[in-house]
Amino acid sequence: MKKSLSIFMMLVLLLGLLAACGPDREAREQSTEDENNNTENQGEEPKPEKLVVWEDVDKGIALEPAIESFEEEYGIEVEYVELNMADKIRDQLRLDGPAGNAPDVVTLPHDQIGQVVTEGLLQEIQVEDAVLDTFSESSISAQMFDGKLYGLPKSTETPVFIYNKALMDQAPETMDELYEQAKELTSGDQYGFIAVLDDFYMAHGYLAGMGGYVFKDNEGALDRNDIGLNNEGAIAGAEFIQKWYADGLFPSGIIGETGGAARDGLFNEGNAASVMNGPWALQGMKDAGIDVGVAPMPKLPNGEPVKTFMGVKGWHVTQFTKNPYWSTKFVEHITNEENAKTRFELTQEIPPVKSLIDDPIIAENEAAKAVAEQSQYAIPMPNIPEMGEVWSPMASALQTIATGKSDPKAALDEAVETIKTNIETNHPGN
Amino acid sequence: MTEHTIKTNHGRNAALLSILPGIGQFYNKQYLKGIIFLILTASFFIAFTDTLSWGFWGLLTLGEIPNLDHSIFLLIDGIIALIVTALGLVIYAFNIYDALSNGRKRDEGRKLNSVKEQYHNLLDSGFPYLMISPGFFLLVFVVIFPILFVILLSFTNYDLYHSPPAKLVDWIGVQNFIDIFKLDLWRETFIGVFGWTIVWTFGATTLQVALGIFLAILVNQKDLKGKAIIRTVLILPWAVPSFISILIFSGMFNESFGVINRTLLDAIGIGAIPWMTEEGWTRLALIFIQSWLGFPFIFAMTTGVLQSIPDELYEAATVDGASMLQKFRKITLPLVLFATAPIIITQYTFNFNNFNVIFLFNGGGPALPGQNAGGSDILISWIYKLTMTSAQYGKAAAITMILSLIVISIALWQFKQTKSFKEEDMM
Amino acid sequence: MSMKKNKIVRLTVSYLIIAFVVLIVIYPLLWVIGSSFNPGQSLSGSKMFPENPTLDHYRYLFDMEESNYVKWYLNSLKISVMTMILTVITVSLTAYSFSRYRFVGRKNGLLTFLILQMIPNFAALIAIFVLATRTGLIDTHLGLILVYVGGQIPMNTWLMKGYLDTIPKELDESARMDGASHFRVFFQIIMPLAKPIVAVVALFSFIAPFGDFILARIILRTDEKFTMAVGLYEMVAKQFGNEFTKFAAGSVLIAIPIAILFLFFQKYFVSGLTAGGTKG
Repeated sequence: MKKSLSIFMMLVLLLGLLAACGPDREAREQSTEDENNNTENQGEEPKPEKLVVWEDVDKGIALEPAIESFEEEYGIEVEYVELNMADKIRDQLRLDGPAGNAPDVVTLPHDQIGQVVTEGLLQEIQVEDAVLDTFSESSISAQMFDGKLYGLPKSTETPVFIYNKALMDQAPETMDELYEQAKELTSGDQYGFIAVLDDFYMAHGYLAGMGGYVFKDNEGALDRNDIGLNNEGAIAGAEFIQKWYADGLFPSGIIGETGGAARDGLFNEGNAASVMNGPWALQGMKDAGIDVGVAPMPKLPNGEPVKTFMGVKGWHVTQFTKNPYWSTKFVEHITNEENAKTRFELTQEIPPVKSLIDDPIIAENEAAKAVAEQSQYAIPMPNIPEMGEVWSPMASALQTIATGKSDPKAALDEAVETIKTNIETNHPGN
Repeated sequence: MTEHTIKTNHGRNAALLSILPGIGQFYNKQYLKGIIFLILTASFFIAFTDTLSWGFWGLLTLGEIPNLDHSIFLLIDGIIALIVTALGLVIYAFNIYDALSNGRKRDEGRKLNSVKEQYHNLLDSGFPYLMISPGFFLLVFVVIFPILFVILLSFTNYDLYHSPPAKLVDWIGVQNFIDIFKLDLWRETFIGVFGWTIVWTFGATTLQVALGIFLAILVNQKDLKGKAIIRTVLILPWAVPSFISILIFSGMFNESFGVINRTLLDAIGIGAIPWMTEEGWTRLALIFIQSWLGFPFIFAMTTGVLQSIPDELYEAATVDGASMLQKFRKITLPLVLFATAPIIITQYTFNFNNFNVIFLFNGGGPALPGQNAGGSDILISWIYKLTMTSAQYGKAAAITMILSLIVISIALWQFKQTKSFKEEDMM
Repeated sequence: MSMKKNKIVRLTVSYLIIAFVVLIVIYPLLWVIGSSFNPGQSLSGSKMFPENPTLDHYRYLFDMEESNYVKWYLNSLKISVMTMILTVITVSLTAYSFSRYRFVGRKNGLLTFLILQMIPNFAALIAIFVLATRTGLIDTHLGLILVYVGGQIPMNTWLMKGYLDTIPKELDESARMDGASHFRVFFQIIMPLAKPIVAVVALFSFIAPFGDFILARIILRTDEKFTMAVGLYEMVAKQFGNEFTKFAAGSVLIAIPIAILFLFFQKYFVSGLTAGGTKG
């Protein structure tokens, strides 16, 4: 007994001793101050030997010419790594950043910005107004969070109306027209129009077009307490969606995670005359030998356009870089008009650079033109972290609406209720 | 004997002196050993002082300056320091024990071992330790270390708004556990999900076990031909990596395009079944898939057991006029269950936490109105969703702890019930 | 007479049941093989017997320029073989100790680890990542191998200990009498007798890495270092891509060798598992 007591006492003593001698902080604090100074006196930042960039999968080819000219101009070597953008870049940055092998520049979809900034993974960048002016306003606002700029836009995308020219002569003007056509075309394994509307990303256009909204937009600041997903307009939109499922115009299997894959399959095999999908799908369709036409979404019954979600991919400077000045320079460089144009040529990603919208290269490209046109009505996805609470309850609501298990109003009321509770529990204090 | 203990107190003295390692050994006049202990102690402190002071400081404070101190990394360094300390304490305890036992020997007037004898002694009694040390060392880092991390994490407020590097994480005691039972949303869904988790665990596991045993017995019939090829085919599901099979099934069960609705059910004139959108059907499909995935293992085990049952047992039973059913109930089943019981238990706990099949098949869906979890979500996949969409790491760790307590207590109780573990020590 | 009739009925019913089960077992496997020969990308068009079968997907996988599949395959093989070797060594040593020696922690040590392994460790993935970073094992195959080996120890040790318990103790005792060292007894007497269970443990530890994509995704960071499982998972998980048929082809190539190994080892398996099982 005595022995164990004495061992215990020793242990306590030892622990106390060890805990007392914390690390020698002064030297380290000093060094962070130095770093801070550096960011302020940007001009003095020494040139690094190398910058590391994380790019989206398969998009590296668009980066290569830009890197080459950057190396030529500034003599800084740039290395890029391709990662799956969906969530891998974010997840990996979370882990690699603090561990000391972070990149200097990354690309992210703008709706992740709020979350990533809250976690402290990105840093604010300083860019001259002349540079900002070259981009469309909505794409810049998508890069802002809490009134600060966290990146420059690389490309925008939004779902459009894509049709098989062999099965449909031209894109209909209105959804009502499309509905009639779809009724005629749908039989057996053939479908007239397919959209994955239990996915809130796709469905948002209809809810918003009829008058719904996710968070009330008060002049650029999103009000997380004002959710308009169960207002009259949203319900009307949901009823509109339900009609397509109830009338058997959509195959019942395009539900849940595999819905998108099923839609692509049907279209690529010529079994669907038209789909609602993003421009990223076009290459696969062409590869499958489909003669595709692209148009903005047809108008809703209330005369309004389908207000699709717009996604903006951007270039960002990470919190962990030692070269914020040169990283920002690089971001400016790769988003300038010339490199943006190259990007469009090589990857068909549409840069939100004003001067390019009227450039023949885009104006005469059917797909790019349709996307640009649809983008005018599109609403950037909210980039505040609270948005994370919206997806899953809305997917649940839309799925039950699609399968006819619940009536649109009840489902949306419940979803909004859940979203509000989730925001209160998981995002307190803001 | 008792006289000696009254006369001298070498045991106590040596043990007390050993508070500084090695001195007790000197007192016992075992100089070489004493020097070894002294050197070990010194080198321990020289090598690890930094690790330890940094680690414990980090563990207690979880960092002081945001953007410079990464709380989670500090937590991990702290755990490493804990493990190192534990190893040090083991050596330390051994040192005291050694001094005490040798001192006792002197008290009893017995001669101590010479250096050479000690060496042989160490080799003999140390051999098993030597053999298990590589495995043990790995286990400490692969099994113990993550568990310590989860335990500690469940007492922190690690979530999106307390995320390093921007912010620091703090210790908050049992607040997470309180929240889980206080917040309506979590508690209410919890009950629904828990119910299905239980049904799933028992339904899927029992079915796969029963199927495995049944088929093994069926194939093992003496006069059945083609045993080898049948057995070969029947263990195929085990041979294909399971995540591949699950994804394949997910494709096959697709309502409009899956081969099951389109070809199989169509052929026998049954209309399409909403596998992915009606929770009942999804659950049924999941239980079917898990049986498909899980039965071959039980099948192989049982086959092995059956082949080891001596034929005489059955012959004797036949002579006594036992029917087929009686033979099965009195001989086959008890033997099989006895031999495979521990494995069966692990199958239950495995399915309780079987994230892959739920997640990969239908992502926990279909969606249910008015609740946070999908219709086929079990606890573990639901936790995954909650963490992924809400970044509530601390809470996730807390729920993991609650889950683990359930699983472990059931498993422990079951293992205790199992004869094969009770008899373990009889050899 | 009725005995014979009885027998015919019993066997017929048995065969029918077995045929039914075999069909259910084989069908998905045949279907995925069929899918891998389908032209096109998607699930919906896949047929078990495609009208115009194509080897395109296999060609794509083996085209070193287009995909890293071959690299992944070699990585997986390397990791699995190393995991197997290290697991067999550590497990044999540990199991032998547990079976033959008495030491502190013998009674409950193994059970403790078996049970501790049941704790799900989603929340601890970040811990494993940081540990690997701290030790410089991040993005190395060695790091992943060590994690796999650690995870394989408890269950396999338990299996092997059961088997070793059935080997009479008198064997090693008499060898010890004759002056054989601990290691000689272990290597020259026990190990040869334990071949079946060694085969089982080897097989288990060989295939385990093929099924894991969660740990591998955390530890391996670069495309060239990926294992098969990670690569295939990324193929299906790609948000905007749909490459089901390629995935099918990749799966076939991974499943066939493993299945063959399984069948090859089957005979050991039964005897190995049995002895381990009956005497837990």
